Amino acid sequence: MQMRSLGLFALAATLGAASVALTADDPAAARHEAMEHVGDAMKTLGAMARGQAPFAAATVKQNATTIADRLGEAASLFPAGSATGTSRAKPEIWANKADFDKIMADGKAAATALAAVTDEAAYRPALGALGQNCKACHDKYRAPEK
Amino acid sequence: MSRRRLSRTAAALALSGAAAAVACWLASAPATGPASTLPLHRPDLANGQALFHAGSCLYCHRPPEAAAGLDPALPSGGAPFHTPVGTFYPENLTPDPETGLGRWSETDFVRAMARGVSPHGRHYFPAFPYASFRFMRTEDLLDLRAYLMSLPRVRSQPRAADVPLAALARRGVGLWKRIGLRGGPPFVPDPARSASWNRGAYLANAPGHCGECHTPRNLLMVPDVSRHLAGGPHPAGEGKVPSLRGLVVRHRYKDAADLALALQFGESYGYDKLSSGGMGAIQSNLARLPAADLRAIADYLVSLE
Repeated sequence: MQMRSLGLFALAATLGAASVALTADDPAAARHEAMEHVGDAMKTLGAMARGQAPFAAATVKQNATTIADRLGEAASLFPAGSATGTSRAKPEIWANKADFDKIMADGKAAATALAAVTDEAAYRPALGALGQNCKACHDKYRAPEK
Repeated sequence: MSRRRLSRTAAALALSGAAAAVACWLASAPATGPASTLPLHRPDLANGQALFHAGSCLYCHRPPEAAAGLDPALPSGGAPFHTPVGTFYPENLTPDPETGLGRWSETDFVRAMARGVSPHGRHYFPAFPYASFRFMRTEDLLDLRAYLMSLPRVRSQPRAADVPLAALARRGVGLWKRIGLRGGPPFVPDPARSASWNRGAYLANAPGHCGECHTPRNLLMVPDVSRHLAGGPHPAGEGKVPSLRGLVVRHRYKDAADLALALQFGESYGYDKLSSGGMGAIQSNLARLPAADLRAIADYLVSLE
C-alpha cells in the first residue's frame, strides 16, 4: 500500500515536472492555457451581461480576479519568435511590442476594476471596458483560426 | 505538308487567333450604358447610413493608418487591401470633387455598384464586391449615395492598385464577369419566411456581402453557390474563414437572439469568435445598425443548415 502510494506520488511528481518543463519550453502552449482560463471566466461573465444568468457579485469577483491573474501571466509569455505550432499570434505583436504590452496591461487593469464591482448597474460598462481590450488585441494581433 | 499548305495553315491559325482576341476584347467590354432608368426617389439618409454600416464600407475605405490628419471615421480610402490578385487601395467615398465621389452622378454610382464599371467606363476588380452589391435595390443605392454625399469632403487621392499587368487584367475582368455575375439580381424575397428573415437575407447577402469571404471560391475565383456561406480559406492567405451554417446545432450560438447580441456587443459581452481576420472591424461597423436589423441578420443566419 505504502509502496503503491509512493509510486503514485513519484508518477505525479514526474508528470508535474514534465508539464512545467513543457510550458517553460513552449510559451505558446503556456499562454494558450492561460488564455483558455480567461476565456472560460469571460463566458461566465458574458452570460450575466446577456441576461442568460442572474447577476452575482461574488461570481464577478472570482472570475474577474482569474482574468486579471491569467492576463498578467500571459503577458510575460510572448518572447520574440514564439509564434510556433498552432499559435495564432501575428508577427505584428513583435513589430509593435509596446502597443501590445499596453493593451495587455490595460486589460489586466480593467479586469482588476471589474473585480471590485458589486452592483449590477456598473457591471455591464465595466465588463465592456475589459471586452474592448480583448477585442482591440484580437482584432490586431490574433490571426484567423488555422 | 507542302510549303503552301503550311503557310495556309499558319494564316488560318493567325486569323483564328486574331478573331479570338477580337472576340475576347468585345466580350470583355465594360457595359457603359445607363444601369437602368433611375426611379424618381427622395433619398432617405437614415436608410443610407444603415446600409453604409451594413456593408462595413468604412472598413475597406478607411484612410491608411499612417496618414496624419485624415479622420479615421470618414471613408476617404487608401488603406491597403491585400488579395491573392494584388494589393488594392480603395477609393475615396467622400464627396470631394477632385479625389472622391463629388462629381459622380446618380447613374455613375448605380453603375459602379450594380455593374462594377467606373464613371470612366473601366471595369473594377471584383475585390470591390459589386457581385454582392448588384443585388441591392436601386432606391437603396440612391439612399447610400445620398448619405455618402452628406459626409464632409476629404481631399485624399488613393494610390493605384498594385496588380501585375493591371491594364490587361482589368480588361480580363470583363470575361470574369460573364461567369462571376451569373444568376443575377434582383433579390427575391421568400414569402414563406418572416419579414425579419427576408430583411436579414437581404442585408447579409446584398449590402453586407458576407459571402465575399464566407463563401468559398472555385479556381476562377467565382463563389461556389452550392457552398453558400459554408466558410473557406481566408482571402488574405493565412487561416480560415468560418462557416456560417449550422451556427446553433454546432453550439456556436444558443439561438438567433444570442447571435444578435454577439453582433451588437462582441467581446464586450464575452463573445470571442467575432474578432480576428478582419471580422472584429466588421462587427464594430455592424454594431451601429438598429437592433432590429441585427436580429434580422441573426434570424437569417441561424436558419442556414
